[in-house]
Amino acid sequence: MARTSDRYPGVEWVGDTGVFIHIDDKKCTGCGNCIKVCLGRCFEVERKLARIRSLAECMECASCWYVCGEGAISFRWPPGGAGYRSDWG
Amino acid sequence: MARREYDVIVIGAGFGGPVAAKKCADAGLRTLMLERSENPGEKVISGLTIPVYGFLFGPSFIRDGNPPIERPVDGIRNYVIYDVKSGDIEIVELRIPRPVSPIIAFGYNAYCKPFCTWEAQQAVRAGAELLTCTTVVDVIKNDGRIEGVVTEKGEEIGAKIVINCEGSQGLLAIKAGVREKYPPQAISLADTYDYECPREVIDEVFGHSLRFCWAFDEQKLAPPLGHGNGLMSWPYKNSIHWMQDQCLAFNDGQVPNLRRLFDEYHENITGQLPWWRDEIAPRVRLRARMWEGFGIYVGLDDRLRNMPNYTHGMILAGDVAGLESTGLCDGVPTAWFSAEIAADTAIEAISANDTSAAFLERYERRIRAHRIIQWAITCRGRWNLRKAQESHDRKDLKSKINYQFGPGILTHAGTPLVNGILSAVRKNPLVLKKWVRMFLRYYNCWENDCADQETIEDGRKKRRSLALDLLILDAMVILFSPVNWILACLLEPLSGVVNPLVRFLLPLIELALRAGIKMEPLFKPVTRWTIDYVKGADPEILVSGSSERSRGRPRKSRASLS
Repeated sequence: MARTSDRYPGVEWVGDTGVFIHIDDKKCTGCGNCIKVCLGRCFEVERKLARIRSLAECMECASCWYVCGEGAISFRWPPGGAGYRSDWG
Repeated sequence: MARREYDVIVIGAGFGGPVAAKKCADAGLRTLMLERSENPGEKVISGLTIPVYGFLFGPSFIRDGNPPIERPVDGIRNYVIYDVKSGDIEIVELRIPRPVSPIIAFGYNAYCKPFCTWEAQQAVRAGAELLTCTTVVDVIKNDGRIEGVVTEKGEEIGAKIVINCEGSQGLLAIKAGVREKYPPQAISLADTYDYECPREVIDEVFGHSLRFCWAFDEQKLAPPLGHGNGLMSWPYKNSIHWMQDQCLAFNDGQVPNLRRLFDEYHENITGQLPWWRDEIAPRVRLRARMWEGFGIYVGLDDRLRNMPNYTHGMILAGDVAGLESTGLCDGVPTAWFSAEIAADTAIEAISANDTSAAFLERYERRIRAHRIIQWAITCRGRWNLRKAQESHDRKDLKSKINYQFGPGILTHAGTPLVNGILSAVRKNPLVLKKWVRMFLRYYNCWENDCADQETIEDGRKKRRSLALDLLILDAMVILFSPVNWILACLLEPLSGVVNPLVRFLLPLIELALRAGIKMEPLFKPVTRWTIDYVKGADPEILVSGSSERSRGRPRKSRASLS
């Protein structure tokens, strides 16, 4: 069943995406760049390390992956048919 | 289980993928299109005006068809905001005056999902197979040659050649070793809002013009202009699309806090900009908010631009090849052009039984020789806006906006566009017929809500036939085609003088455009008559060529017949 968000109307999240963004703790410096560019509030910093808070509002833009200067974030697409979708893009 | 084998696999059914797939299927190749979403285009997010050159010089099935468009666009109205509180705002306008516009349009606004779905349907009707809900996670490599793809379910699908239209992130292209990940400085994050709004309000406030806003940083209205960005709003039929975008990193590598900036700037501009606050805000309802990253500055970096877009058995087209327009912040025409070139190259490679990188190198050469693609990806007009931020000089700001989004655009777009027109007429003088029909049909279908064949059948009832009018038009085009052909042959090599000539004549051109807009009230009856004439026509008669009239019926591909 599709999920929606009050914060981001007009978008649905469908299916089971699993965890498609990973953070390598050994490479993460806790700089917080991923938090700054993530409009879906997917990240938080805990004990000076970034961690995934929730991918429930991720729109798969990969901005976190682009701005991670240490290469600590790995990004792949969710399984086919899963993740966000919108009629209004 | 035996591996499925195709001649061509196209990855992605966005704007570019279906164009490549249709062309390959039309050539009789067994073609498979793979798309990770359930419906094409539902993961594509963009504020979208597709510039008219995409339709004029792009795929013929789009030009001659009835894609779902939201509104023809006649130009751009730029608000240069020096101080919003005191109302110190100047307007820079580029607009085709009435009665020429809005029938002759500067571009067409569209939603991504219906447009991409429509394109994919055309590819399927041509015989391509479409497999949705399928994410490609890897390529099949044999001795350095790509021989197919692997889906997330672990299925291997073989192909003689893979045309990769996966989008700007390029996860598969990177995995296949074709290109590198783009740096954050090359990527812009676009924060997009969609507002429902009654059509009469949009007609009254926007008409057919886009509205862009630009401001110095301290105004906190449009995202930091110092980094080359602005705010844009697009009128659709019954909605307004609104987008702010910003680079993910500055030149020094610093990453802006976009989560905070976007919210703050959106609140400021919608609450302070007089025309939005007073005329739009009370009459709209927020319907959607979404975002996407675009590689719009890839073309400005020599190293990124020169990364290969092909390897043994694979060609990259559209955004994944870094072909987004830096100036107009748009990737659709370049995706269409490159997808067609990729398909042509794939057809030749399969015919020659040679899909090696050495053979596919011709794709790169053709992309580099394509004047409009090269102009689109190397144009520095928008990027240079940051220099006006540095100088904080209002004249400089206004002049740079005029250069990229005002009449000044003709000083750098003139040569590639005139060259495109002359080259198309030289190749086929009868293309003029198709262009005229396209403008008439697009406007007609937009007004009458008949974007596809099925609704055209309903829409044609009790409509006036333009058969005689079009017969006269066709006769004129045919009569003058030898002259047009000779003129195109003679003038095409001279198209390089257009830009310097326009630079010299720009003050006169600006004057003429302003005079045209001032005189619009005088032409009101003509404008009304023109719109009624086009709106009241039987849309079926506007379809180019008899073959187009059978578009509603699916047909088998030559590959499946053989």
